[in-house]
Amino acid sequence: MMTVLLLCAVGAFLELDTTYAFQLTFSRGIIAGPLLGLLCGDVLTGLQIGIFTELLFIDMNPLGGMLPPSATVCCTLCLALCTLHIPVYFAFFFGVIGSILFSTAEIYMRKQRSNWVARQENLIRQRPAYLGSVIRQALACACIFTFVFMLVFAGLIGPAFAKLVPHLPEQLHAAGKFAYMAVPWIGLTTLISAFRLKTR
Amino acid sequence: MTRLLQFRLFFRSFFLQAGWNFSKYQNIGLAFVMEPFLRTLYAKDEEALPSVLQRYLENFNTQPTMASFCFGALAKQEERLARAKTLTSYQQRLSEWNGIKRSLSITSASIGDRLFWGTLKPFTLLFALCIWLMLDLNFFETDIPGHFTYWEIFGAALTAFVTFNVIALFVKWQGISLSYFAENNGCFGLTRFDWNKTIYNAKRMGILFSVLLLLWGAYYFVHSLDEVFGLAFITRAVIVLFFVSISLITRDLRIPNMYVYLVAMLVFCMVCLF
Repeated sequence: MMTVLLLCAVGAFLELDTTYAFQLTFSRGIIAGPLLGLLCGDVLTGLQIGIFTELLFIDMNPLGGMLPPSATVCCTLCLALCTLHIPVYFAFFFGVIGSILFSTAEIYMRKQRSNWVARQENLIRQRPAYLGSVIRQALACACIFTFVFMLVFAGLIGPAFAKLVPHLPEQLHAAGKFAYMAVPWIGLTTLISAFRLKTR
Repeated sequence: MTRLLQFRLFFRSFFLQAGWNFSKYQNIGLAFVMEPFLRTLYAKDEEALPSVLQRYLENFNTQPTMASFCFGALAKQEERLARAKTLTSYQQRLSEWNGIKRSLSITSASIGDRLFWGTLKPFTLLFALCIWLMLDLNFFETDIPGHFTYWEIFGAALTAFVTFNVIALFVKWQGISLSYFAENNGCFGLTRFDWNKTIYNAKRMGILFSVLLLLWGAYYFVHSLDEVFGLAFITRAVIVLFFVSISLITRDLRIPNMYVYLVAMLVFCMVCLF
C-alpha cells in the first residue's frame, strides 16, 4: 500500500504539468509511464502502459475548454492496480475508466474554481502582492485533489478486483489480453490521420 | 524590457494556467505573469497598479507556449498606455490594448494548437516509438521480451522530451522579445516564423515516420510468432486488421479511441464468456 501512496503522490505532482504548471510534457504517457514504473520496480510495464496510454489518447487535445483524459492519471492508476496484483490488461482497462472519470471530476472542479477565483480577484485588487499566494493555493488544491482522487479510486477498485482475479474464468483473461493487444494498433491508425495535410 | 525582466516573465509563464477556470480562463495566470513588468512600469505610481491589474484579470485564453507573444505585445502596449498624455489618447490606446489582447490570443492559440498539440506532440511520440523499435523493444507484446538498460528505456523518452522542449522553450523565450520589439507591420513578431510551412513539413515527416512505424510493427508482429500462417498468426492478424479498420471508421465519425477500446474490451469479454 505504501507503493500505491507513493505512486499517487508522484502522479499528482506530475499531473500538474498537464495543465496547471510548467507544460514541459513530463506528464505525457511516454515520460510519466516509465518514471512511475521506476517507482514500483517495473520500468518495462510502466513504459508499455505509457506508450499505450499516449497512443490511445492521441486523438484528444486540450483545445479551448476541452478536457481530454489525463495520461498521468491513467498510468498512475494502472501501475497502482498492477502493484495490487491485478494483471496489466485489466489494470489498463480500469486506468482508462479512472482517467475518464477524473476528467469529469476535473470539469466540476474547474466550475467550482470560477467562484473561488471571483473571490480572489477582489483580494488581488486590494493587494496585488496576493497574486503569488493565489497561484500557490491553486496549485496545492489541484495537486491534493488529484492525489485524493487517485488514492480513492485505486483504494476502492484495487483490493476488490484483486480478490476477484483468481476466480475469473480463463476466457476473461484472454479477452482482456486481446483488447489490450489492440490498443497500439488503434492508436497507430489514428496517429497517421493526425498527420493528414488538410491545408497548407 | 531588460533581460532580467524578460526572464521573470518567462519563468512566470510556466504558471499561466495555474488558476484556470471556466469563467475567465487564464486571467489569474496572465495577471501573475505580467505583475513584475507592471510593478516596474508603475514603480512611481503604485496606486495605479490595482486598476491596471483589473484589466489583466479580464477574460484571457490562449495556447500556453504561444502566450509569450501576447505577453511581449501587451507589455509594449502597456508602455504606450502609461505614456498617454491626454484622456482621448489614453482611451484610444486602451481600446487598441483590448483589441490586441483579444485578437493576438486567438491567433496565437490557433497556431499553437496546430503546431504543438496537433503536430509536434504526435511527431515526438513517433520519434520515440521508432527509437524503441530500433533498440528491439517490442512494445506490441503483452510481456515485453528481453532485458533493457535504463538508458535504452529512458533514452527515447528523453529524446522526445528534449526535442519538444527545445522548440517550445525557444518559441516561448523568443516570443516575448520578438513581440515586444516588433515593428508595427510585423504582427507582433508572429510573421518572423513561417508557421504554416513548419507545420506542413513536420506533418510530411510525420506521415513518413508513421508509415515506417506501421511497417516495423508488422515486421515485429510476424517476427515474434514461431509459426507464420498458423492459428495464432491468423487470429492476431484478423484482430489487428479489424481494429485498424474500426479505428479508421470511428475516426471519421469523431468517436475517440478510448471508447473503441472500452467497447472492444466489453464485447470480447461477452464473446469469450458466452
